Amino acid sequence: METALNDLRVDVTSIEKQLAGLWRAETSDSEKALTKAALWNVVAHTWTPEQHAHATEILSHASASVPQRTIVIQADPRGDARMTSWISANCHLISGGRQVCSEEISIVAAGDQVDHVPPLVSALLLPDMPVGVWWVGELPRDHHAYAETLLEPADRLIFDSAQFQGREDLELVARIAEETTTAPADLNWARIEEWRAATAALFDPAPMRERLQTVRSIRVFSGGGTSFGALSEALLYVAWLMAQTGREPDFDFVSEGVEAGIAAVEILFEDNSIAVMRGDRDRRVVISTSDGSEASLDCITRTLARNEADLIVRLLKRPEADKVYLKSLRIARRLAQ
Amino acid sequence: MQPNPLREGLEQERVPDPSCLVIFGASGDLTQRKLVPGLYSLAHDGLLPSGQTIVGMARADMSDEQFRASMREACEQHARIRPIDDAVWDTFAKGLFYVRGEFADRDAYIRLRDRLEEFDRTRGTGGRRIYYLAVPPDFFDDIARHLGENGMVTDPERGGPYTRVIIEKPFGFDSASARDLNRIAVSTFRERQVFRIDHYLGKETVQNLLVLRFANGLFEPFWNRQYIDHVQLTVAESIGVEKRGNYFDSAGITRDIIQNHMLQLVSLVAMEPPVAFEADAVRDEKVKVLRALRPIHDAVRGQYTAGSVLGEDARAYREEDKVKPDSRTETYAALKVFVDNWRWVDVPFYVRAGKRLPKRVTDISIHFRPAPYPLFSRLGLKMNANVLAIRIQPDEGISLKFDSKLPGPNVRTAPVTMEFRYATSFGAEPPEAYERLLLETMIGDATLFARRDEIETAWAWLDPLLKKWESEGEPEPYPAGTWGPEASDALIEKDGRKWRRP
Repeated sequence: METALNDLRVDVTSIEKQLAGLWRAETSDSEKALTKAALWNVVAHTWTPEQHAHATEILSHASASVPQRTIVIQADPRGDARMTSWISANCHLISGGRQVCSEEISIVAAGDQVDHVPPLVSALLLPDMPVGVWWVGELPRDHHAYAETLLEPADRLIFDSAQFQGREDLELVARIAEETTTAPADLNWARIEEWRAATAALFDPAPMRERLQTVRSIRVFSGGGTSFGALSEALLYVAWLMAQTGREPDFDFVSEGVEAGIAAVEILFEDNSIAVMRGDRDRRVVISTSDGSEASLDCITRTLARNEADLIVRLLKRPEADKVYLKSLRIARRLAQ
Repeated sequence: MQPNPLREGLEQERVPDPSCLVIFGASGDLTQRKLVPGLYSLAHDGLLPSGQTIVGMARADMSDEQFRASMREACEQHARIRPIDDAVWDTFAKGLFYVRGEFADRDAYIRLRDRLEEFDRTRGTGGRRIYYLAVPPDFFDDIARHLGENGMVTDPERGGPYTRVIIEKPFGFDSASARDLNRIAVSTFRERQVFRIDHYLGKETVQNLLVLRFANGLFEPFWNRQYIDHVQLTVAESIGVEKRGNYFDSAGITRDIIQNHMLQLVSLVAMEPPVAFEADAVRDEKVKVLRALRPIHDAVRGQYTAGSVLGEDARAYREEDKVKPDSRTETYAALKVFVDNWRWVDVPFYVRAGKRLPKRVTDISIHFRPAPYPLFSRLGLKMNANVLAIRIQPDEGISLKFDSKLPGPNVRTAPVTMEFRYATSFGAEPPEAYERLLLETMIGDATLFARRDEIETAWAWLDPLLKKWESEGEPEPYPAGTWGPEASDALIEKDGRKWRRP
């Protein structure tokens, strides 16, 4: 169960003070036990009111699993100069009638006031907690100084490569990974987790594991079109398989269906035998089969939730940068050239 | 064989090779409530390999299909993850089989062996065997002997696929019987093939004790007699003996809870840092604590009489089903325990366990010494000891109590707490202890299992007290729904301390 305690418009210079007041009022009024909790600072950066509303909703769900101080920014550099802010608390009922609440701050800035956002955000971050910046929509290719200041305290940059316009976006996050201490975290990486798990399960039996070194080619079937963003799940998957096996087999992508994401994978071995993984969205599983003399039993891997809140939770539940992703990102960048 | 590189970084990073897990006593309560539901939950989370095979063996006449139907029902009632996912169940159920047989019947083992060999061919289990003895200890001898005689146990010294055996408590009734059971186990298996389950060690909060102590620089410097005044451990149950009257009346709370679960907790609180987080390194340090336990001089036992628990009438212990009407079995015990080593000498560990107490709670509290100079006492203020409390169950978490100045112009203080709650910070339900322990057995990591010398040392320490109680009068009565007999309060209050209300 989820409730919003309040939605107060507040002066940007006294956000912390107003938040403290909000807690005092709620803990004295409420009959239920309230607990304020935070494991992360999550800053969502948006450009439009629609993105702002979307990010607010997604993070209010995510805070049930990863308690956080949420700061949602809407920046409109071309609008008339203004800056406003709201505070609220998202509460989720847990066992024993206790409510766990996460704080949420909204900042809307336009015109030259946008430049005041990064230092304001910096002042609002909870100390000793990691910082994740979720960049919603277009990556900041044109706003270098602004983005750099905003990302300076970030341990994690969360983005969705399904929204990438081209390989320049992939280049940008790869550079951030190489040149800064901010670790990129891609929602698409969380989306392909079920495919990674299914592939790993297929190669768990000892005879199959030996066949990893005989992979000749990989074919990935994915839906949603042939744009760079639509194919980026498939690209990441192939890059991951190469990163983990140390081999670079041939690969190709086949467009299949309208539903975005990987639909099936075929792995061809040197002896011409084949392993197939196919998603069954109705039963919410990936079914893996293989033929050849060392065929393993069919295996079933449950698919994972693909909504953004769950994807963000999965990325935030990992306390440190994902080294396997970073390895795969380097290969994906090269394959995309 | 190298680990599967594709597992790196996945939530399911450690997945065992497929094996045949044979459950002796497959029609019993443990199989239905914990084992198969736990295995299903592991499969649901992608932690079981394809080809994992589970074979139930019991006396009841049942087909594979009937066994699957019965286990489906058990999972629907008891699995952590419900409702049952049909797609996962269908695959999981294909690996469920049943072999009927008496545990003393040689032919049953031959039938079992033939089926296991068939699974090696058809399901890729590669000769790997885990035998789960979910049966009373009386059957251990027959089962171990038949497994050995029928070539169903491999010797790890000779290489090849592994064989492991899981044994459930009670690990004996006293020192002599524990040694007998261990002799039976090692007559067929080597010690490193034996996994003795104490489900407390599978609990996240118990494992977190090691993380709290050894992953944080803050606590360990204060974790000794210089700073700690005393330690309290409480295992309280609100329930009575339920359907276990027969067993419990012959055992009592000391054998049922203190000898295993509570001494494991004492070991984890008191142990020195292990040289590595590995099975023998951890267990070496735990057994050193048990060897350092001073003979018991202060102990209290009690038995509940009629009363009221959580708003309901509760009958007296002697009126419970399958309990002797003149029973002298203790349903409550409190001990003052000392660990005679450099770190802990003269720091009392007050340990209590009981049934029909006001609520179900397992809790460890570390009570620190007062500040060395009573600066604020001179102002007439009462200073409170700092307490680090570790809640094992329910509402798992850790809290730290300390004094703080009350706001205002005068210097007045009040105790406040800083709290960490698993549910608040991490949201998700922790896995069941049995799930973790089953997975660890399949992986072959014995860190969370009791070793032979731990069991025997614990019994050797408790034996004199149990013998003394057998020869003495009756346990002190306490009304159900209270925190035990008055003598228990006296045990701690004579030292100028009080039981913490958990």
